[in-house]
Amino acid sequence: MTKEQFLSKLDASLNKLPSQEKQDILQDFEEHFAMGLAEGKTEEQIAESLGSPAQIAKDLIATYHVEKVEATATTANIFRAVWAVIGLGFFNLVIVLGPFIALVALIVAGWTVAGAFIVSPLLVIINTVMYPEIFQFFDLFFSIGLTGLGLFIAIGMYFATRAVTSGFVRYLKFNVRVVKGGMKDA
Amino acid sequence: MNVQFKKGVLELCVLVLLDKKDRYGYELVQKISDQIDISEGTVYPLLRRLTKEGYFTTYLKESTEGPPRKYYKLTDVGRSYYQSLLEEWQEFTNGVNQLIKEGVIDD
Repeated sequence: MTKEQFLSKLDASLNKLPSQEKQDILQDFEEHFAMGLAEGKTEEQIAESLGSPAQIAKDLIATYHVEKVEATATTANIFRAVWAVIGLGFFNLVIVLGPFIALVALIVAGWTVAGAFIVSPLLVIINTVMYPEIFQFFDLFFSIGLTGLGLFIAIGMYFATRAVTSGFVRYLKFNVRVVKGGMKDA
Repeated sequence: MNVQFKKGVLELCVLVLLDKKDRYGYELVQKISDQIDISEGTVYPLLRRLTKEGYFTTYLKESTEGPPRKYYKLTDVGRSYYQSLLEEWQEFTNGVNQLIKEGVIDD
């Protein structure tokens, strides 16, 4: 691969990054080529030792998304970061996607329970309207009790969701540091 | 050597090299690849990440030959991070070396 090919491949793989950031990165590699050439290496040799531009780009993109999620953890940002980190290597399909699905399922389940408990008196009322003959005060009071419980669960879920999100972002950061990349035998 | 393992260690290599003096990217890459078999390109994402985390600052300096070079300088935060990483590493390798030694004697 020539310098031109290497840089344009890297450029293309990085097109999701802000242009300032991309320019910065390309500049670093320009510099690397210039110094290698000054030492008498050929463009092909330099590109060969640098490794695959696509893999380098994946690393940079994953770092970028994880950083963004750290600054503002919106749902869309989290999904983008998880996706980028999974792209780092096949290995991550298991050790990132697996826990991610499990955590999302737990959070969704928790909120669903809270939501269902909170609206339960409404369900009793609907039931009473449809079948007035089976109305029992016990149902009404019990459902009001559930609403209280649901509110507590919702408060708990709010904090749990925040804790899980920040914990998972830390895990992604750790993963980017350790997983894949950099090695010849990769 | 195991691929996953090496990438974590690369961070320590960069920190060790910058502890003594400021260096530019190409120099760091060459120093590391003299000793360890790496894809050189991955050092740059690493440098960017550690810079963003506040462990390094960068500055441009003219050189007598070729274009200006981007130098990396270890910050105070970076230095204390380096110390803790180094301690962890030494504890870890001492443990492993001890086990290897015992294993060799037993056999």
